[in-house]
Amino acid sequence: MVDMSLTPEQQKVQQIAREFTAKYIIPVDREWDEKGEFHEFILEEVKKAGLNCMAVPEEYGGPGYPSVTQSLVAEEWGYGCAAFATTLGGNGLSSYPLAIAGTDEQKKMYYGRLVNGGMGGFALTEPGAGSDAGACSTIAKLDGEEWVINGTKCFATTCGYADIMVVFASTDPSKGVKGLSAFIVEKEREGLIVGAVEHKMGIRSSNTVELILKNVRVPRAHLLGKEGEGMKLAMKTLDMARPIVASIAVGVGQRALDEAVKFAKEYLDVNGKPLGSHQAIAFKLADMATQVEAARQLVRNALRLKDAGVPYTKEAAMAKTFATDAAMRVTADAVEIMGQYGYSKDSIVEKLMRDAKVTQIYEGTNQVQRIVISGILLNS
Amino acid sequence: MSYALTEEQQLIQQNAREFATEYVEPAAAEIDHTAAHPADIVKKMIEQDFLGIFLPGEFGGAEAGYLSYTLIIEELSRASGAVAAVLLNHASLAAYSINRWGSAEQKQAYLPSLCQGEKLGAFALNEPGAALGAGEHRVTAVKDGDSYVLSGRKCYVANGGAAGLYIVFAQTDPEAGAKGISAFLVDAKTDGLSVARLIDKMGLRGCQSAELVFDQVKVPAANLLGAEGAGLAIAAEALAAASIAEGAMVVGIAQAAMEDAVKYGKQRIQFRRPIATFPAIQSMLAEMAANIHMLRLAVYDAASLLENGQAFVAEAAMIKLFAARIGQSALIDVIQIEGGYGYSQEMVASRLYRDVKGAVIKNSSLDFPEKIIAGNLLA
Repeated sequence: MVDMSLTPEQQKVQQIAREFTAKYIIPVDREWDEKGEFHEFILEEVKKAGLNCMAVPEEYGGPGYPSVTQSLVAEEWGYGCAAFATTLGGNGLSSYPLAIAGTDEQKKMYYGRLVNGGMGGFALTEPGAGSDAGACSTIAKLDGEEWVINGTKCFATTCGYADIMVVFASTDPSKGVKGLSAFIVEKEREGLIVGAVEHKMGIRSSNTVELILKNVRVPRAHLLGKEGEGMKLAMKTLDMARPIVASIAVGVGQRALDEAVKFAKEYLDVNGKPLGSHQAIAFKLADMATQVEAARQLVRNALRLKDAGVPYTKEAAMAKTFATDAAMRVTADAVEIMGQYGYSKDSIVEKLMRDAKVTQIYEGTNQVQRIVISGILLNS
Repeated sequence: MSYALTEEQQLIQQNAREFATEYVEPAAAEIDHTAAHPADIVKKMIEQDFLGIFLPGEFGGAEAGYLSYTLIIEELSRASGAVAAVLLNHASLAAYSINRWGSAEQKQAYLPSLCQGEKLGAFALNEPGAALGAGEHRVTAVKDGDSYVLSGRKCYVANGGAAGLYIVFAQTDPEAGAKGISAFLVDAKTDGLSVARLIDKMGLRGCQSAELVFDQVKVPAANLLGAEGAGLAIAAEALAAASIAEGAMVVGIAQAAMEDAVKYGKQRIQFRRPIATFPAIQSMLAEMAANIHMLRLAVYDAASLLENGQAFVAEAAMIKLFAARIGQSALIDVIQIEGGYGYSQEMVASRLYRDVKGAVIKNSSLDFPEKIIAGNLLA
């Protein structure tokens, strides 16, 4: 179904993403989940479809899609497989710091890799620094014309095979949050070691790794923005990324809803009537659909504010919280409606319920989002 | 816990806790990983008399009551939901039904072997693609002299492939629809009965789930449980008895998860203090503690009703309704508290998250708890 509130250009991209998902993702979503990895050839296909680096502006060779368009694609991918959406979303997440603070040279270097089909990574979290990103213990010291970075990052998305990544490190640990800085690091830099791969309950084919930096040297010009502005940069990046995570969650929720509706129509109860003829089920489906649609519109609203250039931090946090909480509820409801079938791996909804959980956690837990929202409410 | 458990019940609880800690907990992750029926642990549970814990002494049971049994289920569930589910399907569904509706001969023939663990019991209710009796693969039972001949398919049969005895629900009168369903005792070794496949699932992975094929399976007429056409009533009450034990499962799983989150919350430092000191984390813990406490009391109460021969079906449905909600919400919150670590497959919380969802599953339209509760109110 075409959403007529979208521009013809947006409808076109949505259609491309939808067809891509149906052709390349849905047939293998279960297999990717079992193996914990996806077929690499698909990245070539993403590139062919023109969806690999949506956030890269036209002057740097990308499509430069507006935020709403990017979110439409993220939703379609989320519909197919949240892990895949997370991996490709990482190309957006890791290119936002460039859009915010990158110099022309830095953009050419970074975007150049993505445009050629490379993957981008984002390494902020550390074992001791999750929600509290300021507790960063990775250190970057200037040595002549080079930064020398040492430390360990964890839960680094896609960094196992990223070609280029944004790594956060402290340039002045005595300043805590205000000592955090961001750096561009290419995968071939000596001393950059991919550590243990995280085996997760869900989004299993998304690559999550430990990233060890041992005297990794990058040119001085790889510092993004100014020294000590890393936290601000991370926050702005996450502002931009939140509606994308929310879009993935909308896609996951929509898939769960569609699966449950199909089941309710086809599955016959003990009296030979469709399950959906029970009001208990029908009303639950109505509630699920309402939540998914409300989440979708919250995301669109936040992104329209963003594309209009007005503040949207609060709305982005609201969209992320609502959409991911909705995905959690809706996927759990789908498993419940589908009973033993839904709980088994004969159906896809049990995977959706495992995948949905992480959306409440990553790119700022929903508790952090509530800090953001309430902070704006109480301090303005 | 100040609910008046008798001294005997407290001893049973203590023993079950030690058993679970010593034998079940160390094996739980491996059971989840391999999804293999935990035969070794079942053997040890037999030695503990768990398999016939509430069954009459004359058939080899321990006659310790249904409440004692739910205490055991709770303790096993703290360590492994899968192991608890193996016992639950055997006891609450198969053994319970025979003890409740079996003839003297049937009890004599089957209960001793179920109590002594020579045979594990299972309940073959679900059918592929549609509810019991409604789909193209429905199991039918056609009378042929002194026998019934069963044909069709069953799926999502817990303990399927591991069980020695199945209670099979089959349509004896296709014209009568749901009222034409009857229950049969079918030995797993009967000719024509085979396991088509084992079904992988989200959680409770050591409690094997199977699809069974019935190809002209000849069952003696003497193995009809209750009367012809009584199948649905038998299933409904057995499922109610199971709901009480499922409530105990949720209590055990959620309790283990909560303790894990408390431990994590005390150790995990963010913003220079343990995250357990944040009110937002404490609210989540408080909510789950309150829910677990109330569910536990409801389980004790319904189990007492059952063992005292009083009506318990509405109370069991209340447990089903409440347990499904609070178990899920507790585990969603526990992983939220533990963040990326809790989401890791190697951490216990992620297993409990997957397991708790399977503890309470509605069997298609047979048992909407709301319908049972409201029906009771409106009757």
